[in-house]
Amino acid sequence: MKKLMTVVVLGGVALVAGCSDIQSSRDLANPNLSGKQLAEQVCSFCHGAQGNSIDAQFPRLAGQQPQYLTEQLKAFRSHGRSDPKATQYMWGIARSLTDNQIAELASYYYGQIPTHGAPTNTTLVAEGDKIFHNGIPATNVPPCFACHGADGHGHDNFPRIASQHANYIIKQLHVIKYTDERPQAAIMKGVAHGLDDEQIRAVATYLSGQS
Amino acid sequence: MKYRISSGMRAMVRHLQWVLPTALAVTTTAVSLQASATPIFARQTGQNCQACHVGGQFPELTPYGRMFKLTGYTLGQRTKLPLAVMAVFTGTEQKNVGAAPPNSAFSFNTASLFAGGKITDNIGFLAQYTYNSPSTGTGPFIGPFSGQAGSDNTDFRYANRIVNDSTDLIYGVTFNNNPSVEDVWNSSPAWGYGYVPGSTNGAGPGFLAPILDGGLAQQAVGAGAYVYWNKTIYAEISGYRTGNGVFSFLTQPQNPPGASQTYIAGTNPYLRLALTHDWGDSNAMVGYTYFDVNQYENGSSGLTDEYRDNMVDFQYQYILDPNTVTVEVSDINETVNYGSAGSVSDTNSLFRAKASYTYEAKYGGSLAFFSGTNSLNNYGPSMFGNGTSGWTPEIFWIPVQNVRIGYQYTFYNSVGALDLTGTPNYYDTAQTLPITKPGDYNTSFLYVWAAF
Repeated sequence: MKKLMTVVVLGGVALVAGCSDIQSSRDLANPNLSGKQLAEQVCSFCHGAQGNSIDAQFPRLAGQQPQYLTEQLKAFRSHGRSDPKATQYMWGIARSLTDNQIAELASYYYGQIPTHGAPTNTTLVAEGDKIFHNGIPATNVPPCFACHGADGHGHDNFPRIASQHANYIIKQLHVIKYTDERPQAAIMKGVAHGLDDEQIRAVATYLSGQS
Repeated sequence: MKYRISSGMRAMVRHLQWVLPTALAVTTTAVSLQASATPIFARQTGQNCQACHVGGQFPELTPYGRMFKLTGYTLGQRTKLPLAVMAVFTGTEQKNVGAAPPNSAFSFNTASLFAGGKITDNIGFLAQYTYNSPSTGTGPFIGPFSGQAGSDNTDFRYANRIVNDSTDLIYGVTFNNNPSVEDVWNSSPAWGYGYVPGSTNGAGPGFLAPILDGGLAQQAVGAGAYVYWNKTIYAEISGYRTGNGVFSFLTQPQNPPGASQTYIAGTNPYLRLALTHDWGDSNAMVGYTYFDVNQYENGSSGLTDEYRDNMVDFQYQYILDPNTVTVEVSDINETVNYGSAGSVSDTNSLFRAKASYTYEAKYGGSLAFFSGTNSLNNYGPSMFGNGTSGWTPEIFWIPVQNVRIGYQYTFYNSVGALDLTGTPNYYDTAQTLPITKPGDYNTSFLYVWAAF
């Protein structure tokens, strides 16, 4: 019994003293953690190690525009973005990030290679393709490519939307259309109002399959 | 067509008469406290309860919650006061207790103090200390409430994670006081359905549950090592021994007065394997657990009985706002080999399945099925037989993220020696309860569960 106790106590001390490893730290209040480390140790829980999430609740970040990502992370930190997933997850994650960490995170994800889905509903894809390239003149919806680029890769603070999860795009278009939880996306409000649910589903499905 | 209101429905209506005012009072209090007081891990991560608990239905874990636990409760930033409290108020009523006094009771059931969270970058813990209120009711379904405080589920961890372009490897060690409390899936016993303190425990009595199903909770302590590779394969090897001596702070005085420590011989192996897969908005797990325990028949020496448990379990989750669907299934089969010369083996089994749905992490419902059976080789039919099985539908409401109010009604198809043919009751050997059919044991259960 005494031997066992000694082993347990010494083992415990050794663990506390010697095995704490900053390389695998998930301490969100430590400014010494690099963006890459945070991405791998923390963000990967939901977004995947290389920013290609599987769960559509969480956006694919690989290849995302760094300026857009920086603005979003700062908005989470300042509570300037308040859609449900932002408040539930990202306010906490971002609350102590430094500007430098945010910049490194944005740069890390921009450098990752995005994967994309393979939607099977060809009717929806064709309809989405049309909206992306031509817009919907009847409801004053401009073509998506006008701001998000010919390939949907975005630029500056216009996000990359190609290869994004369809369900994530649908969710965000609903947030923008029906709430003011994403004030930075106010420019999209008119666009979202011009899209009905079926059209939102179509354009989201189309984009999810784009590289 | 005429509809008849069942006695269960009447019981539900009776309960609802006082549920509403109680719920409103608790909600009002919770809302006023919410801004400054949230449970321990939520404070550490700065996140909402829903981040880790599926549709807000604690303690069921989301994929994110599982990762949080597997990485040793270390994500986030250390809190100044790593404490949280939980309280559970319950109302229970058995349909017919025969000659016994009516057992309808609404009482303060359980209070827990939690300590936990990040200690270093790789070490964290969750420790629960619980006070169980004495029962105010009677009958075999009430209690045993010890009326005293003691150590509850506790899990200390060291964990590390290696992530690169091709590999995601989590490895760690756990030290805990309840076989399967270290598990991250809610199809395993420690965090499986029946988790509401004071509920029918997802099974009910009248049979001997396999030892893996809480038989050594806060009786044994164990240490083990685990790996989780590429979010695909989980493997764990642990060993459990009697939680006495220097470890008794993890087990005492949880035992009810008069009860004694359960002694197991040496170190007893616990093995766990799980395959997991995530796709789209869904994730699933298929798992296997092996637990082999030698327990002393009397005291801490002499003959031992060997309990060999095999569990196969399955979990499925669909999570896409505003909907969540979860399914948990487990099947434990146990063989008991007795130390006494000439004894033949016995078998005990417990099957559980539960599906639940939540909407907007506020409204939810579930349906659970359970079935436990025992062989009768070493028990007279006066004690056990036929097993216990039934259904538990539940509805619940989560008005704010740290308060859950729910109502369950458990319908028994069979209880102990009773069956649907109305076989005379042998469950109660003294025959003091003139209960003639399983439905007499049907139980109405209401709870208000809050954590701050």
